[in-house]
Amino acid sequence: MKTQEDKMSEKTLDAELVEQAKKGGMQAFELLVNRYQQRVANVIAKFIRDRDEIQDVAQEVFIKVFRALPKFRGDSSFYTWIYRIAVNTSKNHLVSKSRRIQNTQLEFEEAESFANNEDQRNLDTPDAVYARGELEKTMAKAIDALPGELKSAIIMREVDGLSYEAIAAQMDCPIGTVRSRIFRARDAIDQALRPLLENESMRKQNVR
Amino acid sequence: MSDKSNQNMSELMDGELSSDCSKFLIKRMQSDDQLSRSWHNYHMLRSGLQKDHNAPLMSDLGAQVVARIQQQPPMVEELATSGGWFRSVAGGAIAASVALFAVLMLTPQTDDNSGVPGLQHQLFAKTSSQVINPPRAAVARVAQPVSYSRYPSLTPQIQQYLDESNNQPAIPVYYNSEYVDQMMIKTRVTSRQVAEE
Repeated sequence: MKTQEDKMSEKTLDAELVEQAKKGGMQAFELLVNRYQQRVANVIAKFIRDRDEIQDVAQEVFIKVFRALPKFRGDSSFYTWIYRIAVNTSKNHLVSKSRRIQNTQLEFEEAESFANNEDQRNLDTPDAVYARGELEKTMAKAIDALPGELKSAIIMREVDGLSYEAIAAQMDCPIGTVRSRIFRARDAIDQALRPLLENESMRKQNVR
Repeated sequence: MSDKSNQNMSELMDGELSSDCSKFLIKRMQSDDQLSRSWHNYHMLRSGLQKDHNAPLMSDLGAQVVARIQQQPPMVEELATSGGWFRSVAGGAIAASVALFAVLMLTPQTDDNSGVPGLQHQLFAKTSSQVINPPRAAVARVAQPVSYSRYPSLTPQIQQYLDESNNQPAIPVYYNSEYVDQMMIKTRVTSRQVAEE
């Protein structure tokens, strides 16, 4: 029986990965980045609309995070810390972008080729857009195809952020069942995504 | 890779795995590609479910960030924090530049003596620093009697060196101008006599 005391909380897990990254463990840092990639992208998306720019700024945020890691003392949670860096980086990006635009004389043809609405501009390569679209579609299908109990458990965990204990109370089942349901949901979606991800990784290797 | 490992991974990312198992799994994950792949895929599912409408789906950003960090040259700050050797080398470099600056500032302008034949290249140390680092070591002399030292703060070895270097005592121009005048007159007379002969 796992008690609250002997579990490694998410905050402790972050602290453990941060410590390893501070010592130069790049794999630990990679795990950290993937842990917070989407939340950081969501923050950036509140400032920047272009999806390509969001990806670039997200990379910049995590590079700044890596450089500033020695200064992270753990007074606040890791996410609170990177949230501030993400907000500042997004604002700085907007300021430097507006300076670039003011300093650039757009040729008439270039100006005409840009749509007036920034939403309609998409600088992704067609392959990347297709791959991303396919991933999202496949994921949505796989989630839809999950049995009701697994789908409820994973949504309560990932979307509502409930603890296993709270989910067990909501679903009126033992906590062990919640563990199993959440894992089975993740595993089913992982199996559905793997062929696509393997193709994607092969495509990236060929491009390099 | 067993289902048990994957279930442990699922619990680890939710903060629901025991500390010991978590530490073991984190360590293992860094050398096991399959385990780290599961970590990335489970987090991508999380990304898909947490994604805001305006944001793109983020997939394995960590690998891209790490690749970019490894391509960039390390910053000075990182080098300074990564080990004591950089700090000591930087400290040495600063000390050396300060010493060089001091030597350059203390080097006198030799052109001032250009009007005095024979004494043109004769320079005299005026301070203890100049004795230690004479402006032009080949011609520098200390114009002091052998039995007397104006620089008691110098080490015995340097004092001994100075004593040995002063077997032929020289008189500084600024101490005995009459002597210099006599020497100049004598030199001119001698050179005139040589010319007449």
